[in-house]
Amino acid sequence: MKKKSMWGVIIVVIVVIAAFVIYYATRPPKIEPGIVIGCPLSTAFLYGWDAERAITLAVEEINAAGGVNVAGKKRPFKVEVIDTRDLEPGVPVSEALLVVEKLILEKKADFILGGPVRSEAALAAMDLLSKYKKVSILTTGVLTPKYHARVAKEYDKFKYCFRITGEAVWMVTGEIIPCLVDIGQRFGLDRIFIMIQDVAHARGGGGLIAKIMAKKGWHVIGKPEIYPTGTTDFSMGLIKAKKEKAQVILIWMDMPETSILLKQWYDMKLPALPFGSIIAAAEQPGFWKATEGKGEYCLANVVNAGNAPSNATPWTMKFVEAYKKRWNIEPEGYGTSTSYMAPYVLKDAIERAGSLEPDAIIKALEATDMMGVYGRIRFDPKSHQVIPSVDPEEGAVGSIFQWQAKKRVVVFPKKIAMGEIQLPPWMKK
Amino acid sequence: MDILIYGTINSMALALMALGFALVYGISRVANFAHGALYVISGFVTWGFVRALGVNYLLSIFLTMIIIGVVGALIYQFILIRVRGMAISEIIASYAIGLAILEGLRWGGFKGMTYTLPVFIEGSVDIGEIPVDFHRLVVVGIGAAVVAFLWLFTHHTRIGLALRGMAQDERAALMLGIDSDLMAVVAMALGSMLAGLAAILLLPLGNIVVEAGYNVLILAIAVCIVGGLGSWMGAVLAAFLIGFAQILTVKYLGSHYQMVVALLAIIFTLVLRPSGLFGQQKELEERV
Repeated sequence: MKKKSMWGVIIVVIVVIAAFVIYYATRPPKIEPGIVIGCPLSTAFLYGWDAERAITLAVEEINAAGGVNVAGKKRPFKVEVIDTRDLEPGVPVSEALLVVEKLILEKKADFILGGPVRSEAALAAMDLLSKYKKVSILTTGVLTPKYHARVAKEYDKFKYCFRITGEAVWMVTGEIIPCLVDIGQRFGLDRIFIMIQDVAHARGGGGLIAKIMAKKGWHVIGKPEIYPTGTTDFSMGLIKAKKEKAQVILIWMDMPETSILLKQWYDMKLPALPFGSIIAAAEQPGFWKATEGKGEYCLANVVNAGNAPSNATPWTMKFVEAYKKRWNIEPEGYGTSTSYMAPYVLKDAIERAGSLEPDAIIKALEATDMMGVYGRIRFDPKSHQVIPSVDPEEGAVGSIFQWQAKKRVVVFPKKIAMGEIQLPPWMKK
Repeated sequence: MDILIYGTINSMALALMALGFALVYGISRVANFAHGALYVISGFVTWGFVRALGVNYLLSIFLTMIIIGVVGALIYQFILIRVRGMAISEIIASYAIGLAILEGLRWGGFKGMTYTLPVFIEGSVDIGEIPVDFHRLVVVGIGAAVVAFLWLFTHHTRIGLALRGMAQDERAALMLGIDSDLMAVVAMALGSMLAGLAAILLLPLGNIVVEAGYNVLILAIAVCIVGGLGSWMGAVLAAFLIGFAQILTVKYLGSHYQMVVALLAIIFTLVLRPSGLFGQQKELEERV
């Protein structure tokens, strides 16, 4: 009897051990929790939806390659997008702030990537990011130099804020002015008429261009014409430009109605080259079809390389092809290549930091040095602004293209240019 | 000269945007706050026919007008009729319908700058050294024709006379055998078709965006308040007042004050003459 009981106990122990062994051998691998990327984006507008698409693409690629190595554990990125509507006319800044707070508190975002997109909203959101100690990388929209100036001025408070895209001062002094000067020299043009949207970045940028171009010896016609968001008729301004014999019309507008301006420009056959320092409507690949070619010869600044096809770096065309494959369209405009790079830069920083702890990530981001889609990506350690350049080997390069025969041909900076600037036939003497 | 030409074009555009709203309110006393949404959806329907399905442009316009008229009639027949006579409920219901349409379009992916319609006639002409594109001249021509048609329709057809009867005194019209609900449905269908016509005429100048629905509604309300709610001739006159005021503002004050003109017009009208230029709604109270 005793022997029988002994055997019974042994069998039970063996069965239990076998069950444990089988369970542990066959159980699914433990899934590490995702790293939540919160994206406050104005998704009804180009600078919002292209950012969403680019972030999604990058995250899909990163996750497909195994995710992010956080101190030896592979963790996937998880994207949470909420529409801030901050690019829409009449939507108060507070809406965007509510979205940022919702992403942090409800969606438990570990990082904020993308927006808010409107400068005013992004500046207001800086205090929230500081309050919740959330590291953020701006990738689209916001051009105001105040953003990185605030970081530099109050580093301890705003050290969580990074910007991987361009800013207005460099964009104007490093890209737009040299490009305009080049146009002036090449075609003998020196009369500029400025049309801007009634928003902070456009007022600031337009005013700055007027001042600098006047110093460069150009004749700046009147004060910049300011148009409220949503304007649908630009005829009076264009007639003024024609009467005053403008040779270049500088446009700084991110509203969709800018395509009306270009259609009117074409219909009037205005002998002035349209130069979009910011011109959301003309950036998109579908612009040609939408305007039935009326936007030909329009120059458009897309802020960073990779937002239109070019060979800025070996990664640029790979990105263009991947974006085309995923979304069935070329990268659409400002905010696309930067939003694509941000998850990669964040991944790199997390892996070097070995944790998600904000201070460690900040230090790692400050030490970023990566060759990306639009050149070498480094942040100024004091202001957290991406370091710009006209040479992709040295820094983040911009991109100005011109619509030529249905294509967006990059014409500036010279190092990445794919063609030469052309004048419309009715401007040729 | 530029003020005269572009003032007329701008005024006619405003009149086209507002006529449908004025007509519906004038007859059925329903403030159709879905007017802007009907304007935008007309643009997308036409775009669908022309660009997506490749239907002939003229046929697309005709089909859109029919569809949008039916949509307007259905909105009245199935929703607004239930709250008729309750002004606040009518406004809330129609605004909710408008919101649902506009935000539904946005949610459905109709966003961006690439939805456009072709202009009717390409090219431009210089009128006294002022360049004007042909499509804008078409807008003025058709706008004037619509105003004339509306006058003839409401003065010389049985339905038009019935609609006017309703607008003047609904009870008396009922006693004369006019079906007020049917006339309200007709008015809503006509008003919607006018919103559709405005969209078809004006959207080729730019692109079709959801946000236009809100702008058109604000402008239509501004024109109708200044002209007098319910008076479509008042709406035409107010469109010219606001239209020229906007162009003068752009020319002499600055283009960024343009949007303020319509809102200031609302405020001044409400303070000085709440019933508007031709409105009869509160005329007696104002006289007292």
